[in-house]
Amino acid sequence: MTGMSLPPIWTILKWALALSIAAVALFPIWWMVNVVFALPGEPVSLNPRLWPTSIPAGIDKIRLILTETDFLRAYGISLLYAVLTIAGVLIIGSLAAFEFALFDFPGRKLLFGIVMLSLMVPTAVTIIPTYLLTSQLGWLNTMQGLVIPGVASAFGLFMLIQFMRAIPMDMIEAARLDGASHFQVYWHVALPLCSNALVTLAILTFMQTWGNYMWPLIVSSRPEMYTVGQVVGLFNSPLSHQTVDTVMTANLLAAIPPLLFFLIFQRKIVEGIAMSGTKG
Amino acid sequence: MSLRRYLPHYLMIAPFIVLFAMFFLYPIISGLYYSFQNWNGVKPPAFVGIANYQKIIASRDFATAMRNLMTYVAITVPLGILVALGLALLVDNFTGRWANIFRNAYFMPVVLPAFLAATIWRWIYAPNFGLLNMILGWFGRPSVNFLNDTSTMLYALVAVDVWVSAGFNMVIILAGLKNIPVELYEAARLDGASKRQQIVHITIPMLGPVLFFVVTYGLISAMQVFDKPWLLTGSSFTSYGGRRNALLFPVMDMMGRAFGSVRFGEAAAYGFILTVAIIALTAAMFMLRRWKWRK
Repeated sequence: MTGMSLPPIWTILKWALALSIAAVALFPIWWMVNVVFALPGEPVSLNPRLWPTSIPAGIDKIRLILTETDFLRAYGISLLYAVLTIAGVLIIGSLAAFEFALFDFPGRKLLFGIVMLSLMVPTAVTIIPTYLLTSQLGWLNTMQGLVIPGVASAFGLFMLIQFMRAIPMDMIEAARLDGASHFQVYWHVALPLCSNALVTLAILTFMQTWGNYMWPLIVSSRPEMYTVGQVVGLFNSPLSHQTVDTVMTANLLAAIPPLLFFLIFQRKIVEGIAMSGTKG
Repeated sequence: MSLRRYLPHYLMIAPFIVLFAMFFLYPIISGLYYSFQNWNGVKPPAFVGIANYQKIIASRDFATAMRNLMTYVAITVPLGILVALGLALLVDNFTGRWANIFRNAYFMPVVLPAFLAATIWRWIYAPNFGLLNMILGWFGRPSVNFLNDTSTMLYALVAVDVWVSAGFNMVIILAGLKNIPVELYEAARLDGASKRQQIVHITIPMLGPVLFFVVTYGLISAMQVFDKPWLLTGSSFTSYGGRRNALLFPVMDMMGRAFGSVRFGEAAAYGFILTVAIIALTAAMFMLRRWKWRK
């Protein structure tokens, strides 16, 4: 224990504090679960939703929202949007990172400088003109319109370069002597060596894409292209006639993928975020 | 020939560079061009000089949004980071399994998409039957309409914001704490420094670069706040900002001008005004740091 010299009263306080903060952090999420798994229309004064009271009622609500609303389609669109974005970010990011980290060619410094500078440009300045370009390409309300403008991620490139730099040049030379082509060196040597970084980047990209609200809001404005974020937002709008039960069920379903990812990959996620902060 | 020699390299970076140029560099340049045009997306653009910029700066919504933003940033950034620092120091006091459990618990809200955090809290804040008002009721207090009362709206947003961002910053600060050499603490303990003295004289100064990153990053993202106030106020492109615009922020105002009033030139100009403000603030942060180092 690091708190060894502390008197017991401090140890108790420390635990009390840590536990009550954990309650504040987790309760809103827990509350959401409880609202779903309670009989609909039960007044809050009778059931303050401190724990789930009816599992079948919750399952009914989930079935209802998946069959009676367009939530399932939005779910599919959000998943496809996330998966395609991850694939794009990983493929084109790792191709470029391989070159920037390990080789020299005319123009390398200049291009790298421009990309890194872009990390400082706020989204606020690019979002409207990027929307206009997407619209001129005829990509509004299409999957490519959602995905492609976000694929050249300067953050992803930066992160992968950090990892690729650690690859020893000897290994690359050895592969070359064995007759591997430039692309084969990338595919068989560089990629496997930074698989950890690729997984971390994939998870962070998933979180970001699944949670992206602003870009889908303007690019896929037609109901048949709505993402989960938009449906959740609509259910919540003052004009919607949805009850708290429906809204919270939608919220819960939208929360499941990122929460699941977190429970499985918690170490990678936390490390990835810590790295972006301490190395950047 | 050198082109043949370098061709494989250029082929490998081409996909990134082409998409980056198309969807990042080109929009910046075209945005600058649009910002001097009057354009509704249908009729051909007409050059209007700096009229868009003048119109924005003179507008009442811009003044409201900027005033809200300044209050919001001044509260949420320092508060969020103080909370995060406190959480990191607290978690650092535990070891093994419990350190992990508390860290994960505090981090959980970060994992949720911002749109979810906003919609969950909208119901917690709800008048009469919301969770918060139920608790107030236990203490015999009247119900407060947190998201429709101009005296509470901003603080309601700050609470959601801190709830979401504290865990994120905590994780970065925790990584910084782990990088502080243990020898420093041992030396201080030998010199008889108390726990509090160790925090003030070792932990905080050694965390300098990490705290600098967290503050700067926090400022840049807080200045572009959008999802949370947009959803907390149940905004749409035709009506946004909440009661008496108490939760109107610059990016919301910009999006409203683009997609509500369909004035793209004006919205593009808005983006540049905001960017200049963000860059100025970031530059000020870097200058402040350099000045402190010289001292």
